[in-house]
Parts: sequence; C-alpha cells; structure tokens
Amino acid sequence: MAGGGLQITGVRFAYDGSGVILQGISLDIPAGQFVSLLGASGSGKSTLLRLIAGLQLPQQGSLLWNGTPVLAPGLERGVVFQDYALFPWMTVADNIAVAIGKARPASTKAECREEAEGHLRKVGLDSARRKYPFELSGGMRQRGAIARTLAVGSPLLLMDEPFGAVDPVNRARLQDLLLEIWETSVPRKTIVFVTHDVDEALYVGQRVVILGSVPGRVIADLPVSLAGARERRSLIESEAFRTLRESIAEVLAEDTLAQLAVS
Amino acid sequence: MSKLAIIEIPEPSGGPLALGVGTPTDSQRVPVWLRRGLEASLVWVALLVAWFLAAAYLPLGKNPLIPAPPVVLEALADSLPELWEGTLSSFTILLPGFGLATVLGILSGLAVGTSGRLQDAFLPFARVAAPVPPTVYIPYAIAVLPTFKLSAIFVVFIGAFWPIFQNAVAGAHSLEQRYRDNARILGFTGFEYYRRVVFPAALPHIFSGMAVGLGFSFILLTVAELFGANAGLGRFVQYYADFGDYPRMVAGILYTGAVTFLAMTLLEAARTRALFWVK
Repeated sequence: MAGGGLQITGVRFAYDGSGVILQGISLDIPAGQFVSLLGASGSGKSTLLRLIAGLQLPQQGSLLWNGTPVLAPGLERGVVFQDYALFPWMTVADNIAVAIGKARPASTKAECREEAEGHLRKVGLDSARRKYPFELSGGMRQRGAIARTLAVGSPLLLMDEPFGAVDPVNRARLQDLLLEIWETSVPRKTIVFVTHDVDEALYVGQRVVILGSVPGRVIADLPVSLAGARERRSLIESEAFRTLRESIAEVLAEDTLAQLAVS
Repeated sequence: MSKLAIIEIPEPSGGPLALGVGTPTDSQRVPVWLRRGLEASLVWVALLVAWFLAAAYLPLGKNPLIPAPPVVLEALADSLPELWEGTLSSFTILLPGFGLATVLGILSGLAVGTSGRLQDAFLPFARVAAPVPPTVYIPYAIAVLPTFKLSAIFVVFIGAFWPIFQNAVAGAHSLEQRYRDNARILGFTGFEYYRRVVFPAALPHIFSGMAVGLGFSFILLTVAELFGANAGLGRFVQYYADFGDYPRMVAGILYTGAVTFLAMTLLEAARTRALFWVK
C-alpha cells in the first residue's frame, strides 16, 4: 500500500513562549504496525502523540496520514488518554453510542446503542454498560475508552500511557486485550503506544522508538523481533527479550546522564 | 508557662486516649440519626421556649410587639387563604424573573466563558455591573416601566442574573482539557458541543449560581413588594405592620420563610438528581 500509514517528516514543535519540545522528528510508520514510543518524562512523547492526533500543529515539518496532511483532529485517528476521558455525565454505553453517532451520522439512535453494546461485549464490559464512569475502576474505564475507539472504527489508534494508572494485574490483561484486538483487526490497525515502561513497550510493540529529552528527538529505533506466540512468561524470560531490554535501558540511561551533564 | 506546658503535655496523654476508647461503645447505643435529630431539635425547642418567655415577661405595653406562639399560630391559620393568594401573586413575579435570569444567565455565561473575544468584550463590564446592589434599581424601574409587576420582574431578574452568569462563566472555565480534547477528536462543534460537553461540565457551577440567584430573588421580590404591590408576601407583612397587627405580621414572616425554604429545598433536590455523576 504505497503512501499508506503515517509519515512524520522534520517535525519541530514548541509551546508559545517555552523551549523547543520536539526537534527534527522523522518517522515512517507503515499501516498495520504496532509501535511503542518510549522515553523519559519530558521527552515530548505525549506532545508527539497530540501532533499526530491533530490537537496541536507543528511549527515545522509535516505529518501525513495515508498521504493526507494532519491539520485537525479526526475520527480516523482515535486517542486513548491515560486520564480516562470518557465523559462522566454519560453512561459508558452512551459515551460510545454518541461517538458512533458522530462517526456514522446516518445511523439511528437504536442502531448506535446496539452497536455500542456489541463493542462493550468485545472488551468485557457488557455488564457495566448502564454504569457511569465514576462507578468503574480505572481498568474498566480504559476498557470503555478502547471500546469507543473501536466503535468509531479508527484505523489509527494513539494511546498515551493508557494503562499507566491501572494496577499490574489489570494492566497485563489490558495489554493482552489490546494485542488481541490488534491481531484480529481487518485491515490491521496501526497503533502508536506511548509508555515509559520498557517491558510494556517490548511486550506490545513490533518496534520500539525511543525519544531523547530536551529537545525531544529520536535516539533509537529498534525492531522487536521476538519470534513465536506472545506467551508472557516465556517471552519475558527469553534471552532475546532480556538483551533488548538491557540495550533499551542503556539508551535511556545514557540520555538521562547526558541531560544531567547539560544541567 | 511554656516550660510548664512542655512538661504537662506528655503526662495526661494516656488519660484522654483511654477515655477516647471508651466513648464509641457508649455512643453506639444511640443511633447516629437519632442523636443528630435530638441535637437539632434542641435548637428549635430552645428558641420556642425563649419566644414563650419573651412574650410572657417582656414588658412591651398593651399591644405586644412579641405575640405569643399560640396567638401567631391562630393568626397564621386565619390568614392562610390570604397568604396563599399572596404566594400566587408573588410567584407571578418570581418565576418569570428568576426563570429568565436562569436561561439568559446560562446561555450568555457559557458563551462568554468559552470565547476569548466575548470574554475580553464583556467581562470588564460584568465586573463593574455585577456588584451594584440590585435594590437601588427598584425606584427607577418602577418609574420607567409601565406596570409595577414588570418593574418587580425586572429587579428580580437583575438580582438573579449576575450570580448565574458569573457561575456559568466559571463553569465553562472549569471544563478540563481532556474533555475538550475528546470533544475535538469526536468532532463535537457548535450547539452540540455546548449541549453535550460544556453545559453538563458547567452544571455544578450553574446550580451554585442558581441557589445564590434564588436567594437574591426572594430578597428582591419582598423588597420590591414593600414599594408598591397590592398583593404578595412582602406586601402582606408590610400591610399588617402598618396596622400594628403583629400576630399576622409575624405569621407572614414565618410563612415567607417556609416558602423560601421550600423553594431552596426543591432546587437542591433538582441539583442532587442532575449531578449524581459528580464524584
């Protein structure tokens, strides 16, 4: 698929009146790839995600999704934030039905509801569909947020530390759910997954991109070729996983040291 | 003295602690709701006793300024039809004034709160106009507007509008970045953005503004009625005061208090119902 996927070329970004956040970012993410975006806090990974989402515009460089410049937010680029962004004044099912209504304005209210419930079933939330976000745990809210991007049918998922505030057991479950969703999606969804957890980045991603700090720039871009089924236990104990983890830890440590030397 | 304090503090700390362990078992015998109810009714009983005593023993002449509770109760029973008519009359001023203030206050407050340009244009004016005590408009409103009713509605409107407007602005400001981002990603624009995102997010503030506005509405309503009404709650109190009929006057005060309390309670119930999702 020529021109498919996400092309980021020479992107520079600074907030008004503050230092440069991102400098010279170029990345080519083919459609269907699952990319983990790693980096120390302050490396601008969330900002890069906001640029891809179209919530911010770069001062220099360009972002193309399937050949079209990203100039504003759009439903084809679904975002899952760390801080559960389901609207608290709607039930979980309504949150999703409303999003479906925006994605497919021709569908009736009943159709939207029915479809919403189907997606909630997929993420294991069907029993909570009439509940409000405040009645749910952090993990369940993130399931709802994932269900919403699925319901909208976004081919590109942008996830900003989506499981950062979830307890370890649920975090592992959500990682597996996300992988299952990705592996069974047709056509395969493109996912950019921001995290600061090295293990998580390696477990979910096919490729790990590391951003260095001040200003944020790509300091490493590694393919994750961990052969075979992703059985968590054997994967984490495998030699290949450990080697990758160590080299990533080294890159991150060097970046931290370099930053300390500057300051 | 400070030296003494230092020596004394550690010494009795075992005492109160030991007592503290003992008290919960005592208080468990009386249910919390009953204890709270008893404590609250104590205040009422004390006030009632004070009233009886004041009516019986304060030397205030033949026509007592402090009629005893049974006398007031009788006056209240006698005046109920008249008070009910007064209530209806007052509500034909209160409801249009407060209702209009609510609708316009929310609409304009949310618009100003979400637009930088409207804010630059209107907030400086609002800052000057809002603190003006609305009671000072009453004589002029009566002079300018064709009927007393219209001028009273106008004054109630002004009194309720500013708190609702200001709170709606604050409510729009309180909309968190993540919900704004979400709305943008989902493509909510125009009226839909206000209806689905800004309004519900601002609702907690709006209800606070409405509560303040409703309080002001009652104040302005009764004050306006003192000026020139021929019916209404404030008018009732003023009328019997002119005749020195203090039992009826006190009955009117108590009745007006009850109506105000009821209206506030209704608003509070609506708030609880609408904001169950706030945690």
